[in-house]
Amino acid sequence: MHELSIAQSIVDSVRDHLAGQAGRRVLRVGVRIGEISGVNADALDFCFGMTVKDTELDGAALDVERIPVRFRCQGCATEFDASDFVLDCPTCARKDAKIIAGDELALAYLELE
Amino acid sequence: MTERVEVRQNVLKENDRIAGELRDELARHRVVCVNLISSPGAGKTSILEDTLKAMGAAGRRVAVLTGDIQTDRDADRLRRYGFPALQITTGGTCHLDASMIRRALGQPGAPGAVALEGLDVLFVENVGNLVCPASYDLGEDAKVVVLSVAEGDDKPLKYPGIFRRARLMLLHKIDLLPHTRFDREAAKADARRVNPEIEILETSCVTAPGLEHWVGWIEQRLREKKAGGVAS
Repeated sequence: MHELSIAQSIVDSVRDHLAGQAGRRVLRVGVRIGEISGVNADALDFCFGMTVKDTELDGAALDVERIPVRFRCQGCATEFDASDFVLDCPTCARKDAKIIAGDELALAYLELE
Repeated sequence: MTERVEVRQNVLKENDRIAGELRDELARHRVVCVNLISSPGAGKTSILEDTLKAMGAAGRRVAVLTGDIQTDRDADRLRRYGFPALQITTGGTCHLDASMIRRALGQPGAPGAVALEGLDVLFVENVGNLVCPASYDLGEDAKVVVLSVAEGDDKPLKYPGIFRRARLMLLHKIDLLPHTRFDREAAKADARRVNPEIEILETSCVTAPGLEHWVGWIEQRLREKKAGGVAS
């Protein structure tokens, strides 16, 4: 569990982005967390709150978009979700789909006052 | 009035920036870097002890950075083979990150820095953990996951993060197979399901097949890197 390190990284990224805009209050921080990224969304939310407390970001809400593990079939380009890594394409039954989502740890947006 | 600013940035951007610098430095000096990841007790340190012995005998120059939450015990064990072995004690952090590697190596040319010049292989032994180390690029050429047969054959599906990012899986303590209900073919099939490109070697520090194929794998990466390519 390293959600505290991740929360700190998110806060650092937010500060980076605000570098030229001192004084603007951050209302919401949007992040995209993939299902197999190894990060727990609830724990992250908790740690984010702890990390920003008593700082200029205190009160900013964390919006976590959970991204399911998604594959694209190499044969027919059908996209499908498969948390259990059963890679059989639902359309053409080929078994060599490539993962296209589910591994993200991304800052998506900031909502500023 | 609120304004929404699209950002689209990797949360670990700073880690990846440092990892990129480390990767470039390692490439400049043609040093192969391997990041060993496993649960506690899978056998990373023992594998490294035997690997250091074998590579030393073959005239290779190696160094080890070993991470643990507490104690210097691993570095003490590894130092006995005559190569630099530095301990990174995280004090609680469950993984190594690029900034810790940078700090341990020191700034190039600074006093006390680990000299990459003339080094063949840098081993990084990560903190015992199958989850968190997977997320952190350390500038390595390959993540290697060590799964021992004493741990259960369902781990590749339970921990897809690390099995997906590893280039090689060492199926270790294979000598214990008769004493467990570990289904070797199922574990390998599941690892390949999660990562169709994963290479798999069976290893043991105690009996045949030993570590010969593992050392051979490292030598192959070294040949590739010395020839000027990326060992990937």
